[in-house]
Amino acid sequence: MNDWAILSGIEGNLAAYEAVLADIKRQRQPVEELYILGDVIAPTAESEQVIQRVRSPQQNEPMPQVCQGWWEEQLLILHGLGRTGEPTELIERYGITMVKTLWDAIPREMVEWVRSLDFGLFELDCLLIHGSSVSVSDQLTPDTPAMQMLDRLMRMEANTLFCGRSGLTFQYEIQQGTVTSSLTTLDRSNSPQAIAVKPRQVVGVGNVGRLPGQASYALYRPNSNQVEFRTVRYGAGKGFQRASP
Amino acid sequence: MKVAVMSCIHGNYEALNAVLSDIDDQSADKIYCLGDLVGYGPHPNAVVEMIRALDIPTCQGCWDEDIVEGLNSCECSYPSVLAEKRGKQAHEWTDQVIHPEVREFLAQLPLSLRDDNLCFVHGSPHNQHEYLMPEVDAFVALERVLVTGADILFCGHTHVPYVRSLDAGQLQIRVKSTGTTERDVSFSAPLKRIVNAGSVGEPRHGRPNATYVIYNTDADQITLREVEYDYQKTCAAIIDNGLPPIFAWRLARGLEFAERADDPTHVCER
Ligand SMILES: [Zn+2]
Ligand SMILES: [Zn+2]
Repeated sequence: MNDWAILSGIEGNLAAYEAVLADIKRQRQPVEELYILGDVIAPTAESEQVIQRVRSPQQNEPMPQVCQGWWEEQLLILHGLGRTGEPTELIERYGITMVKTLWDAIPREMVEWVRSLDFGLFELDCLLIHGSSVSVSDQLTPDTPAMQMLDRLMRMEANTLFCGRSGLTFQYEIQQGTVTSSLTTLDRSNSPQAIAVKPRQVVGVGNVGRLPGQASYALYRPNSNQVEFRTVRYGAGKGFQRASP
Repeated sequence: MKVAVMSCIHGNYEALNAVLSDIDDQSADKIYCLGDLVGYGPHPNAVVEMIRALDIPTCQGCWDEDIVEGLNSCECSYPSVLAEKRGKQAHEWTDQVIHPEVREFLAQLPLSLRDDNLCFVHGSPHNQHEYLMPEVDAFVALERVLVTGADILFCGHTHVPYVRSLDAGQLQIRVKSTGTTERDVSFSAPLKRIVNAGSVGEPRHGRPNATYVIYNTDADQITLREVEYDYQKTCAAIIDNGLPPIFAWRLARGLEFAERADDPTHVCER
């Protein structure tokens, strides 16, 4: 099985997405699957073009599989299609003016596409999701407590959880663990039993569009369970353009 | 000190009275209640009035929430579709008979209570509707206690009492992130326990008796209590009030009517 490219947070930055696509095509090992873990959009005018680019890949590019991110959820809430009725979180983070900015940035005809996106994707033994199995806002980082990480994995019975909410690239491996469990009910009492956890991991896949000139994403090789992080520099002065005479 | 913890009274005044006098006999110093004061049973107002009169610290149960908020949780609140249908009938009946001040009281109940190293919730610390079944994976169970910061987590909601000890929990972690060196972290947790208080008014452990628990803090000992009472009285009141007769049938047997949750840890996203 060939590699997967997993990215998150294009955030309406077309140049960043193009740079990542170009980097994916440069890989020696062909990339077979492309997963986008949400935040394709942000309150930018370019978001519409990014959606169009994501939906219509070129012939030599894999068809991206996309799930909802935080910005997509906020957009759906504004259109009365979200899991909660009020855009409380959006206003808390960005102020009341953001409601109109986001509403205006994404044309209505794009909302249906956003609505069609899954909350998360499950492939082989991997959960691919923007935040976590709890919500799109759940931010997992290299400093998240181990038990919390394990909980997020076990909620969906995943061995690997790929996420993008923090924007960081990291590999968090739960290598081994044990706990001794015993149970007493009204009618019986079980002797203590040692329970072992099987190795699992959480992978932060970075962020494509937030930082101007620098995009990060992850490559995954399902056969060997190997993760590689890529940092792509793009734009003026980053060596991709021919020097003007 | 002896702490008595009870849950899921479900409008069963007879059972509540029996449990309160048993708590008295056991000379408990404190009482906590984990919610579900109403629903299924015929005396929701009397039960709430008694809890208020005795000033028993109580957290909000799934039924208490639904009576206040209206039924907007999905079918996952019930172990099966059939249970959901019957639950809806009971909800409508309770919704009609409940006094306004009782509804107000239920609305202001906290989701969790804390007493030193003890934490009290209805379902789980994450959600009132989550069932912490005794067979839940040990690490999932351990996470539920750890997230509260307490040593013992008291919960109800399943209507079957148990004590689960989770000892010597440990995890070995390796974290690699770009720009920093790889680091190994080990995590360990001392003994943590989940104590399910069972159900006063709607037991499902296979007998009609009311159940609750007592924690002796000095001896660090947990006792599951089973209290006999005149359940036939409650059964008769269920029928007299026009509640679904199946509630009387299963109360007399202490059964959930052979229905199981498909996914007990599933939490509604609505
Ligand atoms: Zn209950
Ligand atoms: Zn409940």
